[in-house]
Amino acid sequence: MADYTLNIAHLYGDLMNTYGDYGNIIALKYYAKQIGVQVNVELVSLNDDFDGHAYDFVLFGGGQDYEETIVAHDLKNKAGQIKDYIENNGPLLAVCGGFQLLGHYMEMADGSKVDGIGVMDHYTTNMTADEVQTLKGQRLTGDITIKNDETGETYHGFENHQGRTFLGKGERALGQVTKGQGNNGMDQSEGVIYHNVYGSYFHGPIFTRNGNLAKRVLATALSRKYPDIDWQNKLADVSAESF
Amino acid sequence: MTIKSTLAKFSAKSSHWFLRDILHRGGTSLPGKLAVAIDPDILHKLSNDFDLVIVTGTNGKTLTTALITRVLEAGGYSVITNPSGSNMIQGITGTLLTTPIKPSPNGKKPVAVLEVDEANVERIAQAIPPKMFVLTNIFRDQLDRYGEIYTTYLKIVAGIRKTPDAVVLTNADSPIFARGNFNNHRIFYGFDNVAPVDYQDIKAPNNTDGILSPTDNSVLHYNFITYANLGKYFSVTDNFVRPQLDYRVTSVDQLNPKFSEFSIDNTPLRIEIGGLYNIYNALAAYAVGREFGVKPSDIKTAFESNAQIFGRQESIQVKDKDVTILLIKNPVGTNSVIDMMMTDPEPFSLITLLNANYADGIDTSWIWDAEFENLHNAKLTALATGGQRYQDITVRLKMADFNIEGTYPDLSKITEAITKMPTKKVYIAATYTAMLQLREQLRAQGYIKEEF
Ligand SMILES: [Zn+2]
Repeated sequence: MADYTLNIAHLYGDLMNTYGDYGNIIALKYYAKQIGVQVNVELVSLNDDFDGHAYDFVLFGGGQDYEETIVAHDLKNKAGQIKDYIENNGPLLAVCGGFQLLGHYMEMADGSKVDGIGVMDHYTTNMTADEVQTLKGQRLTGDITIKNDETGETYHGFENHQGRTFLGKGERALGQVTKGQGNNGMDQSEGVIYHNVYGSYFHGPIFTRNGNLAKRVLATALSRKYPDIDWQNKLADVSAESF
Repeated sequence: MTIKSTLAKFSAKSSHWFLRDILHRGGTSLPGKLAVAIDPDILHKLSNDFDLVIVTGTNGKTLTTALITRVLEAGGYSVITNPSGSNMIQGITGTLLTTPIKPSPNGKKPVAVLEVDEANVERIAQAIPPKMFVLTNIFRDQLDRYGEIYTTYLKIVAGIRKTPDAVVLTNADSPIFARGNFNNHRIFYGFDNVAPVDYQDIKAPNNTDGILSPTDNSVLHYNFITYANLGKYFSVTDNFVRPQLDYRVTSVDQLNPKFSEFSIDNTPLRIEIGGLYNIYNALAAYAVGREFGVKPSDIKTAFESNAQIFGRQESIQVKDKDVTILLIKNPVGTNSVIDMMMTDPEPFSLITLLNANYADGIDTSWIWDAEFENLHNAKLTALATGGQRYQDITVRLKMADFNIEGTYPDLSKITEAITKMPTKKVYIAATYTAMLQLREQLRAQGYIKEEF
C-alpha cells in the first residue's frame, strides 16, 4: 500500500474530454507511482457538488462547443466553491475550454458568447473578433514551444484552438511563445499561471510531453497536502519524459 | 438524356478508359471532375436509372456498403457501388457515370449503394433523391479536419431534410441519431442480446462523446453498452429511452479476431471478420436487405460466401510470423481494435506505428483517449513502437505501464521488428500514412505481392 494519496477531481470529465486531456491525469499517476503516492480520481460533473476540500488537484479539460455550453450553464452553480479552492491555492490544470470558462467569457466559432465564471481575469474572443490582428479567421493549429522565464523551463506541445484569450490582472503567462501562436497569436503569451492554477491551450497533453511541469505541479500538490515532506527532493531522481 | 449530359457521360467514360488503361488504377475522381465541369446537372439526370441508398457515418461505411451490395445482389438486384475512399461528390459522379447499369435479374429497379462522406451527403442527396439513408454512427474523428460530432450530424440532417420521402435507417444504439428535426420515416436497428434481468444502470466511460440526452442534455445512462456510446440508453431525468428496434441482434455467440457468430432476429449468421463493431455493419446490411425484400436465407448466404469483402484486416506472412495489419485513426476505432485483440485466444505481440501527416490527423492527442490500458487484459506478450511520432506512442504505452521492447522510427527496419517479436502472431496497428509506408516496405521486401 502506498503511504500517501493524491485525490484528483476531473471536472466534467465525461463532457470535457476532447483532446486527450485525461492524459494529464495518466501522467500524474505515472510520476506519483514512482514515489509511492496513490492517485484517486473522481468525476465531478453536471449537478454534482464540488467540494474543494476533498481534492488535492483538479483537471478541467476542453470539449466540443456543444458540450461546453451545457457545462458553462452548470458551472455557475460551482463557481463559489471553485473560487474558494483557487484562492486557497488549490492546484488546478485547465486546458482549452476549461481555461476559457474560468475567465469572464468566451466566444464560440459561430459568434455566440458564453459566460465563464470569472474566477480569473482573462477573457476569450473568437478568431474573427475586431481585436484579432494575427491569423484572423483561422484556427491556431500546430506545434508550439514556450519558455517560462521564472523557472527557465521549456514546454513543447501542439495547439489547436479558434478562441483567442487575453490575460488580465494578476495573471502571468505559463510561458512566452518561442514557436507557434499561444493565447492569441499577438502578445507571445501562452497559458496562464494564477496562484496554483495552470491554464494552457496545449494538447499533447501538456503533462505527458513535459515531465518537468508534471513533476513541478505534482510536488506543489503534495507539498500542500503533506507539508513536512520534501517532495521536490523525492521527485528529483524520477526521470521526466520530455519530447 | 440531353446531348450535353450524354456528352458529359461519354467524356467521363473516355477519361476513365484512359486512366484505367494507362495508369492501371480505378476509382479516381478525374472522370467525375470532367463530367461535372461539362454538366453540373449530370447526377440529377442519372437519378431515374436506379434507386439510391446512401451510407454515411464515421466508422464502418466501407464494410457496410460492401455488405449491403452483396446482400442486394443475393436478392436478385443489379447493384452499382463506389470503391472505398471514393466517397466525395467527384468520385461518386465518376463511379455513377462509368459503371454500366444492368437490369436487375429480379425485375426490380437496379440499386446504387454509395458510401458518402458526411460533408458530401447534402450535395449528393440534392442531386439524386435517395430512397434510403443508412446511418452507421458518429464518433469524434480527427478534429483538426472534420469538426465536432453535432456539427457533422447536422450536415447529414441537411441532406435528409431535403428529401422527405427518403427512409432513414438508423443505428438506434447511437443517441445522437435520436436528434434531428425531420419527419422522414425512420427504421431502427440495434442490439437486443441482453436479457432484461441482466440490465444494469451504468454510464459510459469518461472518454466517450455524444452521451447527452436530446431532450434536456442530461448525461444518459445505459442498461448495457456494446462499445463507445452505443447501447441501450435511457434518461434518468425524463422518459426518454432508446427507440423501439425494427431489426435486432438477438444473440452474440462467438467473437474472435477471425470471425463472429451471432443472430439477427433469431437467424444465426456468421461473418469472416472479428470485432463486435462489425456486427453493427452486418446488422445495417441485414436491415437494408429486408427492407428491399431479400430473404433472411439469402442474406445469410451473402454474408457467408463473400469472405474476401472483409479484407480490411489484412494478414501477411513475414518469415515465421503471422502478421495482421490494423488501421487506427481515432479513439473509438482504436478501442475497437483493442477489444478485438482481447478476443484473441493466442498470445500475440503488437507493433504500434504513429504518424501525424494530414491524412493521419496532425493532432496526436487522441492516443490518450484510447484505452491502451485494456491490453493488460489481453494475451499481449511484447510491444514495440514506431512511425514518425514514435515518441508520443512510446510514452503513451509506457504510462499505461507497458515495457517497450523496441522502437522503430525508421520503417525500413520493420521486418527486423516483426521477426524479433517473441510470438508467432504479430499485430501491427498503424495510422493511415504509417500503414502505407509499412505496406511499401513489405512490398519492397517481397512480403506483399499485389499492387493496391
Ligand atoms: Zn483545444
